[in-house]
Amino acid sequence: MISVSPSLRRHAVRVLQRHGIWLVLLLLLLVSATLSDAFLRPAYLMNLVLQQTPVGITAIGVTLVMIAGGIDLSVGAIISLTAVMCAILMNGESENLPRALILTCLAGTLVGAFNGLLIAYNRVSPFILTLGTAIIVYGLTQIYSGGTASGVVSPGFREALNHRIGGIVPTMVVILLLAAACGIWIQRRTRFGRALYLIGTNPTAARLAALNLPRVTLIVYSLSGLFAALGGIALLARAGVSGTYTGRGSEFDVLAAAVLGGTTFEGGHGGIGGTIGGLLVLGLALNLVNLVGLSFYAQLIVKGAIIVAASTTYEFVRRSSASLEKPAT
Amino acid sequence: MSATTQRLPRFAAAAAQMGAGVLAPGVELVRLGQFAQRSGIYLVLIALLLVPALWLPEYRNVLNLGQIVQQSAALAILAIGQTFVIACRMIDLSVGQLMGLIVVASCSLMEGRPEATIPAILLALAIGLAVGAINGFLNNRLRIHSLILTLGMLSILQGAIFVYTDRSVGAASPAVLRIGNGTVMGVPVTVPLVLVVAALAALLLHRTRFGLHVRVVGANEEGARRAGIDVARVKLPVFILSGVSAAIAGIILAGRLGTGYPNAGTGFELDAIVAVVLGGTPLSGGRGTILGTLAAVMVLGVTANLLNLLGMSAFIQMVVKGAIVIAAVLINQPRVLGRA
Amino acid sequence: MRKFTLLMAAAVAAMASLGWSAARAQQSDEALKATFERVAKLAQEAVDTTRFKKKPPYHIGVSAGYLSNSWILFLNQYVKYEASLHPEFADVVVTDAAFNPAKQASDVEDLLSKGIDVLLFWPVDEKAMMPALEKVAAKGIPTVNIGYNFIDSPAVTSNAYVDQWKQSTQVATHLAESLKDKGTIFAMLPIAGSSAAVTQLAALNDVVKSHPDIKLASVQFGDWNRAKAKQLTENMLQRFPHIDGVFSPAGQMSAGVLEAFDEAGRMGEVTMSPGDEYNGWVKWIAKTDKWGSVTSGLAVGRAAVLQALAILQGEKVTRARVVTTEYLTPKDAAKLYDPKRPDDWWPNSLPEKFLPK
Repeated sequence: MISVSPSLRRHAVRVLQRHGIWLVLLLLLLVSATLSDAFLRPAYLMNLVLQQTPVGITAIGVTLVMIAGGIDLSVGAIISLTAVMCAILMNGESENLPRALILTCLAGTLVGAFNGLLIAYNRVSPFILTLGTAIIVYGLTQIYSGGTASGVVSPGFREALNHRIGGIVPTMVVILLLAAACGIWIQRRTRFGRALYLIGTNPTAARLAALNLPRVTLIVYSLSGLFAALGGIALLARAGVSGTYTGRGSEFDVLAAAVLGGTTFEGGHGGIGGTIGGLLVLGLALNLVNLVGLSFYAQLIVKGAIIVAASTTYEFVRRSSASLEKPAT
Repeated sequence: MSATTQRLPRFAAAAAQMGAGVLAPGVELVRLGQFAQRSGIYLVLIALLLVPALWLPEYRNVLNLGQIVQQSAALAILAIGQTFVIACRMIDLSVGQLMGLIVVASCSLMEGRPEATIPAILLALAIGLAVGAINGFLNNRLRIHSLILTLGMLSILQGAIFVYTDRSVGAASPAVLRIGNGTVMGVPVTVPLVLVVAALAALLLHRTRFGLHVRVVGANEEGARRAGIDVARVKLPVFILSGVSAAIAGIILAGRLGTGYPNAGTGFELDAIVAVVLGGTPLSGGRGTILGTLAAVMVLGVTANLLNLLGMSAFIQMVVKGAIVIAAVLINQPRVLGRA
Repeated sequence: MRKFTLLMAAAVAAMASLGWSAARAQQSDEALKATFERVAKLAQEAVDTTRFKKKPPYHIGVSAGYLSNSWILFLNQYVKYEASLHPEFADVVVTDAAFNPAKQASDVEDLLSKGIDVLLFWPVDEKAMMPALEKVAAKGIPTVNIGYNFIDSPAVTSNAYVDQWKQSTQVATHLAESLKDKGTIFAMLPIAGSSAAVTQLAALNDVVKSHPDIKLASVQFGDWNRAKAKQLTENMLQRFPHIDGVFSPAGQMSAGVLEAFDEAGRMGEVTMSPGDEYNGWVKWIAKTDKWGSVTSGLAVGRAAVLQALAILQGEKVTRARVVTTEYLTPKDAAKLYDPKRPDDWWPNSLPEKFLPK
């Protein structure tokens, strides 16, 4: 064991903790490139990112919620609702486009606010509450749409969002990056963002510091709903009007990405940057498995194994960094 | 003293009490709130059983109740196992797929042959035990949140089922079919089965040292550790219990379906968790009630049955189910401030 | 630690016995084909309906395995519409199992409690529904299976079905013809494990067997979900530098598949198999004048209701009313496209008030 100065080791571990996921991504990319040169083509890589965009945008909001120690399981239902709602409101006319987008975002935010209100002013578990909301929203989506994915997309909507800048970079990826940048700005540079971290780490301290917990809770869940709505719109752009349950299961993909990126359920850790990294790693790993020819079900096994392995590594790193912080005896 | 003056003190006392009731409604409401919180789910269940009887003839028939129990039996057993997990402040998301795996495995083995019943049940218990032990072992060693671990396990188990088969395989033996669907003198076989399992579980949770340890670890893990409790030795059996409950539930489900349908268990884990929390066991752990869990499972079963009998559209049923979950969890609020 | 090793040993033993029984458990594709051929004969057998005869009004119970698919939704509406045309039917109650076979069993029991006179159903999984169906039969209530498969069981009184085997064979044969019997293809199938997916794959394999120059490179399960089909196709496009054809009888998924090819700029290289009459698919046909459709047999819902009526009136009935599927040339298929309707729509003859919203 090379003897490294403790401060250097501490620093290294902290870097690993924060940005480890990108290292994993790089390694995985190198491994993939040896298996197939498709991974060296920018168009191919962009396509991978594109596939993850709806989940990615949604994950931004959920990451914020998780930093504060909460969880939002209703995002899959919100995506399903907003994808269908946006199409119905557009009704094939381009003049309806702005109105459709605004109303859809509003709907998602309202669902989030509903979650936030109930969680803020009652001591209910966000896990169960958002689960209940998800069931209600799925039902409302069916009632609203009559069961079929009705609605016709405005002309030009899908073309614009599926356009590739310079033939390579899809517009939607740019939107994802912008949304992520927005989220990171909220996370790092606003008082709200700092409040989230404090609440996640130590809610009692947060309350003692006179932070308005209910207000922060309300806002963060509303944001989660808003980002989920944006995710639903992105899904609509990518896949067209396809069904009333399109978002189903997304909440677990979002959780997996967040966890891979270093955000935990206890809160106080992680961030959106890590989530995006986690998303890409998951997308790449699954694509790799598919390329290698493993069945879809083998992919499920790989996904599960990655989730467990990654979390374990983070915990390990976190604990060793904690032990490094101890004063030298 | 005349009769009137004799009654006066009592009357005065009563008036004072009433006045106190008026002046201190807060106290009464708090009492009412606590009562609702603790017994809320039982009140809901009773209401759901009695009120529809007013205009639905099926609800005046106790056979319908027996049928609901039969429909809810697998979920009930699963939820009983999950009660231990949640009382210990953990979550097991993998039970649904584990149950599915057991359904597929046991039906594959049985192939409808009566002599294969016992081996199939043994196989089910072996798988449940093994996977539960793996979960418990990994949970102790890897130090990651049980939610993440079992989420990964869910994915792995689901993949494993489908790698084995993508279509229904095997068939339940006549004995197992009877377990799932049969009746003895009009009473479904699953009724005594669920009651026995519930009774044993309640005894285990409330009257053994192990049960006490489970609740203590759930309430305050660090404190329990300092008090000398071997936390790992408590958590491992909890997961094993969860696995075994999935095994028993799997046999019942195999009997209900008659075949090994790969997706049989999908979604059951969330229903189980909902039932446990609705029943009064808080996600923050420290407390557990098997009876509450059973009542909650019945509430969910009666609701589904009621909505079917009323001919409500499937979409409205979804909205109602979600509303019930939210309403019930708002009533059943944990006293301790706990996140997630 | 010893306890752990013991448990691991148990697990290994469990898995081993699983493997052993696995070999015997699966129904092979050949057996499936034989089943379908046998079924064609069985379909003609007469059913003794005298014991079901009763006086109207009749209550229909519909146990839907799922309603989350626009084809099924239209089928459901057709059932309600057809029932409304006959005054003997008092009402139609529909339950939705949402792909949960345990719920379907409960739904059937609940419908029985409610007092239906006939049960129409499409199963989440045929085998998994048997115990519930047997309960219905034990009560002397007739059952009619709707969908893609003939269920050969005394608990199923009659079937109204689309011959999935024939339909899949038609689709595969036309694909082979368009490919001039040569090329690499992949298959886009519905939900894995569903009878539709199993049958489509078996039929495809059967046709491919007689065309040795056609290679089935991969089988994908799009779950009747357009977005998923698109994503899976994108993966296919990355994996295979050249794809000659795609077997996809479900128009819903074909639309997603084509979009992926279109966005990758590889429309020119692929030949699609005929899809069905899904509006989003015939839209593509109208645009490109290629590929065609094999109809999906949506009328099967109406056939089931007519079958139920005949049974309840004690009339002569066979064990199956088969709805035929036909191949539509691109020109004919294009005529079915309705630009005023969303993609998630099917050509139909439903009156306004029975249309899905």
